Amino acid sequence: MKSVRMILAVALALAVGALGVWSPRADAQAQTIKIGLLYDHSGPFSAAGSLNCWRGAKMIIDYVNEKGGVLGKYKIVQVDGDSQSKAEVAINEAERLLNVDKVDILAGVYSSAHAVPLAEKVDKQKKFLWITTAIADAVLKDRNLQYTFRPQPNGGLFGENSVQYVAHYAQEKLKKAPRDVRVAIIYEDGPYGTGVAAANEAEAKKQGMQVVLKEGFSIQAPDLSSLVTKLRAARPDVLYHTGYAPDIALFLRQAKEQGLRVKIYIGHGAGHSQLPKLKEAFGTEVEGFHTVDPPAAQLIDPKKLKPGVAELTQEMLKRYKTFEPSIPAGQVAPHVSMGFNNMWILLNDVLPRAIQKHGGFSAEALAKAARETDIPEGGTMQGYGVKFHPLGHAMAGQNMRAIAAVFQVVDGDFKHVYPPVVASMSAPPVLLPASSPLFAR
Amino acid sequence: MIDPIFLAEAAVNGLLLGGVLALLALGLNLIFGVIDIVWIAYVDLVMICMYAVYFLVQVYGWPIWIGSLASVGLGALLGIAVHVLIISPILGSAPVNQLLATGGLLFFLQSFATFLWTTDHRSVRLTLPTLEYGGMFLSFARLVAFAVALLVMLGLFLFLRHTYIGTAIRAVSQDREAMALMGANPRTVYVVTSAVGGALAGVAAALLIIQYSVHPFFGAAFGPLTFMICVLGGLGNMIGAFVAAFIMSEIISIGGVVWSTEMGYVIAFVIFIIMIFVRPGGLFARRA
Repeated sequence: MKSVRMILAVALALAVGALGVWSPRADAQAQTIKIGLLYDHSGPFSAAGSLNCWRGAKMIIDYVNEKGGVLGKYKIVQVDGDSQSKAEVAINEAERLLNVDKVDILAGVYSSAHAVPLAEKVDKQKKFLWITTAIADAVLKDRNLQYTFRPQPNGGLFGENSVQYVAHYAQEKLKKAPRDVRVAIIYEDGPYGTGVAAANEAEAKKQGMQVVLKEGFSIQAPDLSSLVTKLRAARPDVLYHTGYAPDIALFLRQAKEQGLRVKIYIGHGAGHSQLPKLKEAFGTEVEGFHTVDPPAAQLIDPKKLKPGVAELTQEMLKRYKTFEPSIPAGQVAPHVSMGFNNMWILLNDVLPRAIQKHGGFSAEALAKAARETDIPEGGTMQGYGVKFHPLGHAMAGQNMRAIAAVFQVVDGDFKHVYPPVVASMSAPPVLLPASSPLFAR
Repeated sequence: MIDPIFLAEAAVNGLLLGGVLALLALGLNLIFGVIDIVWIAYVDLVMICMYAVYFLVQVYGWPIWIGSLASVGLGALLGIAVHVLIISPILGSAPVNQLLATGGLLFFLQSFATFLWTTDHRSVRLTLPTLEYGGMFLSFARLVAFAVALLVMLGLFLFLRHTYIGTAIRAVSQDREAMALMGANPRTVYVVTSAVGGALAGVAAALLIIQYSVHPFFGAAFGPLTFMICVLGGLGNMIGAFVAAFIMSEIISIGGVVWSTEMGYVIAFVIFIIMIFVRPGGLFARRA
């Protein structure tokens, strides 16, 4: 009897063990896919765009779940992580999401300072990382990461486009050839700022422009008056600025008080793209400011998009009203689109192919599916197509079809002004208006 | 070669920054000198008071000067509350426990502010004139802050010199045990000191909100610098903190123009480290 019991127990244990081993994941896990969303819900990055990215990602996950889930049957279980605007916390939260909550996919990441260490760590664990926001080239450059993908444009594009934009309008607006244009570049000294600034400088030199000052600063610096003094001494026509949020507000206040005057002011994303917040601090003084970011879906001409894509933009705007009922569409930050659209690419293109063609949603299957992504221009809400640089390429995992758009604040709203393929305004003012406290006559 | 006018502007800007830093450092140092506990969360109390000014002025439309007075009052109340609720029960504990308690308060205040007011940056929008003199541009907000900070520091000096309670505060800061032996009650002195330190945080808040946006993590920009100034001047040494504030602000400002903004801070921190080795008790070391 005893031996019969023993045999039954061993058989049961083997059966349970076999069940555990036999798990074609797509079928056995109660038809759910766990996605860890890693953004900053606290700390200075939260208001600089990270929270808006999370909102965008959450909205599309909710939308897909309401439609029955991925392929109409795999519901997404969203697990949130808060990076708290600190790199070490981001790494710990990623560890928790991957190894405690056992998420199938890690997605999000706002700050490049977090993404640079995180991408390598996650890739070494052979886990799938989908970066919706962080842009620094250094996240992917020369690392040949196998499981990390970024549909978002990279920082180099930001820096190049903003300089090409000025070169395009130099003669018409500044009455100068590009070689006579004096540009100053200031940047936060993390990977995000240094990457964009390096691209600014390289492109400015390529265009023959005069770089009269290039200087970094810490976003924690309590005083930037010496930087303003140096900028005044350098007398630039154009100021390129890459910062996060409180540092942008501090700089603009001190620039105004200390009499800095420029003809064109161009910020690059983050706090420069949070127009309602900038207006709260500076009112109409932000008229004529620029920012550079991936296109905001609501500013894209629906006729330039593939059928059905523009409807998603309306869905995004409708849902965003539950978070910010009073922000008009023209002022919704592009970060909302980044979270919404880039997650949509994952849920609508990569995941279905991974499940149908590669047998599930393991990191291996997802990476194979991502490498096969081939969305043409106009195929996403933000206008760009998606195709990732292959393994072996210096920027393996980067979307080679992504676009960075230059926005200008015109009549209180954002308008896409460059490149022409996404421009919602054909003849932008470019220069700061005479009413601007930074305006140089 | 830098135009001397820009160097002069940097020196003046350093002076103006130094005024506000000195005010912050004096409040923190006053409390340390008397109660012998470092309020790690001091600049976070300033942050709470900045929110008070923001809501009163920007949201409810109060005049800035009434908002500022309210901030001073709130600061004093917060100072008393922190002492009674947090500091008083741990007065006899090991220093590390005291640090942990005020460090915990720091995280509590940051989380409390995030919970109530989100992570948005909020600014009081005032139209202030730009001052130009001889090719130098000066911030009117900073000039006002500098002048008020100096007046408040003078007021503090007179209070400590010429009032009974001020004398008691100085006596406790010089010899706590002797004061108790003479029959004086240090508890009252502690509460008054906390109230004065809190009120100084309220003044600093009113002066900072016209120059900076407030957000729950505002303390990260000023907290470490304020603490460094206190250590450089000698913890508990009011004159030392006052002088150290101007030394640091001038190095940051002039170093920023001569070399770079980042280098200004690097030089300031290097000098701080060297000074800690050379004079561990601070510039005007009061204690061994």
